[in-house]
Amino acid sequence: MKASELIKQNNQKRALLTEENEKYYTNLLLYIRTKLTLSEQQSEEVLMEMLDHLSEGQQDGKTAREIFGNDPTGYADEIISHLPRENKRESFLFVSEIVINLFGWFLIMRSIIIPIIGSKASEEVSIISSLLLILLIMVMTALGVRGIFGLISQSSFDEKASDKKAMIKAGLYGAGGFSVIAIFSFLAKEIGPTFTLPWQISFGLGAILLLISWLMKKFRLR
Amino acid sequence: MSIRSQLLKGILDGCVLAVIKKEAVYGYELSKKLQKVGLEDVSEGTIYPVLLRLQKNKLIIGEMRPSESGPNRKYYSLTSAGKEALEIISVEWNQLAVPINALLSKGDETVESE
Repeated sequence: MKASELIKQNNQKRALLTEENEKYYTNLLLYIRTKLTLSEQQSEEVLMEMLDHLSEGQQDGKTAREIFGNDPTGYADEIISHLPRENKRESFLFVSEIVINLFGWFLIMRSIIIPIIGSKASEEVSIISSLLLILLIMVMTALGVRGIFGLISQSSFDEKASDKKAMIKAGLYGAGGFSVIAIFSFLAKEIGPTFTLPWQISFGLGAILLLISWLMKKFRLR
Repeated sequence: MSIRSQLLKGILDGCVLAVIKKEAVYGYELSKKLQKVGLEDVSEGTIYPVLLRLQKNKLIIGEMRPSESGPNRKYYSLTSAGKEALEIISVEWNQLAVPINALLSKGDETVESE
């Protein structure tokens, strides 16, 4: 069974747990799923086994704490240490899919903004600063995903962690990251040679890239 | 950690292999069978790290199929490497169990007689 299918089933079965068991299990699940380097297939398989075990145990009157122990973080770390890493090829394809998708949206946004601004000058693309800007956006996105996933896995088993605090942290990160990108694009406008990329072509290219990333996603989840 | 669970830690892989050898089982069944033979304080969750490790070392293999009660479960069976490993563990265990039994159950007498 594919990981995507397992995730769907997991959502359905999780709804049948008692409140206390659901909380314990969901924390375990978030902690394991947010470790991005693990094989998704293997992670989902063991998560499903643990969920099935918990469901059967629940019918016999057992709690998640009795089954998986009083140290959920230690337990999850032990599971993680035995899970295989994600295969390199699949990780590469997944990251490429995200990069193509981001780039597609970037071009589409540009094609919407240019007609609004209505100046010919904004159709000029400076090669070096554009490349730098794209690189910066990708790095900020990657750091953001890691940072937010880190926040989730950190707060998984922390009884005192409040969602509000984590959301403020994530919000600050978003605002900070956006400011860096905005300041950079303002300062680095005119470096190196330029060429003209009309908004119609930008729109067409963007649409093609979005289509490619959509097809890649379809293929990945197949 | 209690003394018993420390002792058990080293031999739990062998116990799990032995249960799986008799018949392919899924997680919940496995923990029930371990408890039934008397290993009651094996916390049920501890079998999952063990199962993952045994799979990674290719001693067991998991396969999804419908269970007796209906829904799909991952059933584990031994590979040929798993059978060999189990035999080695049994032999090693016996080699340890006999002298340790002798030492611990009538430790004082043996030491005195020498």
